[in-house]
Amino acid sequence: MENLGLGLTLMLIGMITVFAILLIVIYLSKGLINIVNKVAPEEAPKKKVETPATAKIDSNIMAIIEAAVKELTAGKGTVTSVEKL
Amino acid sequence: MDILNKLYEMTAFAQTGGDWTFLIMILIAFVLLYLGIVKKYEPLLLIPIGFGVLLANFPGGGMGVVQAASDGTVVLPDGSKEIIWDMPLHKIAHELGLMNFIYYMCIKTGFIPPIIFMGVGALTDFGPMLRNLRLSIFGAGAQFGIFAVLLSALALGFTPQEAASLGIIGGADGPTAIFTTIKLAPHLLGPIAIAAYSYMALVPVIVPLVVKLLCTKKELMINMKQQDKLYPNKTEIKNMRVLKILFPICVTTIVALLVPTAVSLVGMLMFGNLLKELGAMTSRLFETASNAIMNTATIFLGLSVGATMTSDAFLNFTTIGIVVGGFLAFALSIGAGICMAKIFNLFVKKKVNPLVGATGLSAVPMASRVANDIATQYDPKNHVLNYCMASNISGVIGSAVAAGVLISFLG
Repeated sequence: MENLGLGLTLMLIGMITVFAILLIVIYLSKGLINIVNKVAPEEAPKKKVETPATAKIDSNIMAIIEAAVKELTAGKGTVTSVEKL
Repeated sequence: MDILNKLYEMTAFAQTGGDWTFLIMILIAFVLLYLGIVKKYEPLLLIPIGFGVLLANFPGGGMGVVQAASDGTVVLPDGSKEIIWDMPLHKIAHELGLMNFIYYMCIKTGFIPPIIFMGVGALTDFGPMLRNLRLSIFGAGAQFGIFAVLLSALALGFTPQEAASLGIIGGADGPTAIFTTIKLAPHLLGPIAIAAYSYMALVPVIVPLVVKLLCTKKELMINMKQQDKLYPNKTEIKNMRVLKILFPICVTTIVALLVPTAVSLVGMLMFGNLLKELGAMTSRLFETASNAIMNTATIFLGLSVGATMTSDAFLNFTTIGIVVGGFLAFALSIGAGICMAKIFNLFVKKKVNPLVGATGLSAVPMASRVANDIATQYDPKNHVLNYCMASNISGVIGSAVAAGVLISFLG
């Protein structure tokens, strides 16, 4: 009977603790969401703006690419634009 | 003739000593291998475990794990007795063989479970949980089986420590079950690990069984996406990446402060997850944690846990009690999760498919996949995977916390 009493106590304490910890995790996450939304609201916005910018290709690299294209296409091909993928 | 005699003595048949119970164990090994290879029930677990059982049960092979009594006494092959904790590792390897060396070095020391948790963390995406935070609470309901079986085991005469180790099988989390048993009832580690891992592997059988007993077709057809459209979430996550980096750090801190005994499991889980979420910065560590270390740990764990299943250790009433009790714990946990979802539905407008409750036990992501299969059987468009993952992942935290409570009260 003593052991059963211990079992019931453990059940009560265990279930309450598990519920309490998960509730804390849930509310902590909600708090984190609010803080992150305020402090860092956008997900890496700079990268998205930078991707279409194709102009800033090093002139040396551009010259190498143009030379390679000329060589491969026997002078028929020209480079119109270079994009980073 | 002498040579033929010697050849016969070399074989396992000569070393049976008239005890043929090892054949039953070899049959069990074949069944486990069949379930893993043909039925594809968690092959990454069942195949090493099944093969471990096979290796351990050939007389004269010396690959079976020698279980220590509760005071740490082991009987060596020459009949002498030693306290296992006083034996240096090289002596264990020399006297008891390779498998005992792995078992006592990696498993019995409690080294492997947190390492596996790190790998699980590295493979876990907390995104579904963060997007469906209210569903995470079902990870708590499904821990009921642990405590219900603990109570029943106490009534059947198990000691509180043994009963707690038996109940923790209901958490459906192999590493947690092993970790708790090492701390509370190390002499029962073999059968408890086998029961925990076998039931985890049998999630595709047990979950549908309990769901069919407790749920109606109407309940199983509750479409979570429709519910989301009818009652949209108020909180919008604007920067998931930053949130996912902060989450493991904050959860570890909170759990470590409140239940420090659970921190070796939860902490390692969250560390693995942090490595994943930091992306390129820690990609090398993430790859090692989620592949090399995780796979190595799984091989050692599977083989040595399988090797604990020798005929002496397995074919007795305590083990059979553990197997039956473990099944009850598992089924009760699923049932409690389902009932919690049903009660929840009585009070809220935005209904929850009871399958989300059923996946509150750990067994990530298998339980969620099985739940999704059940839901799509009733309505092919009703994909509940992401919603089930929310309760499934929180179930991992829940069972680790339950283990922490048991260890701090009974350890």
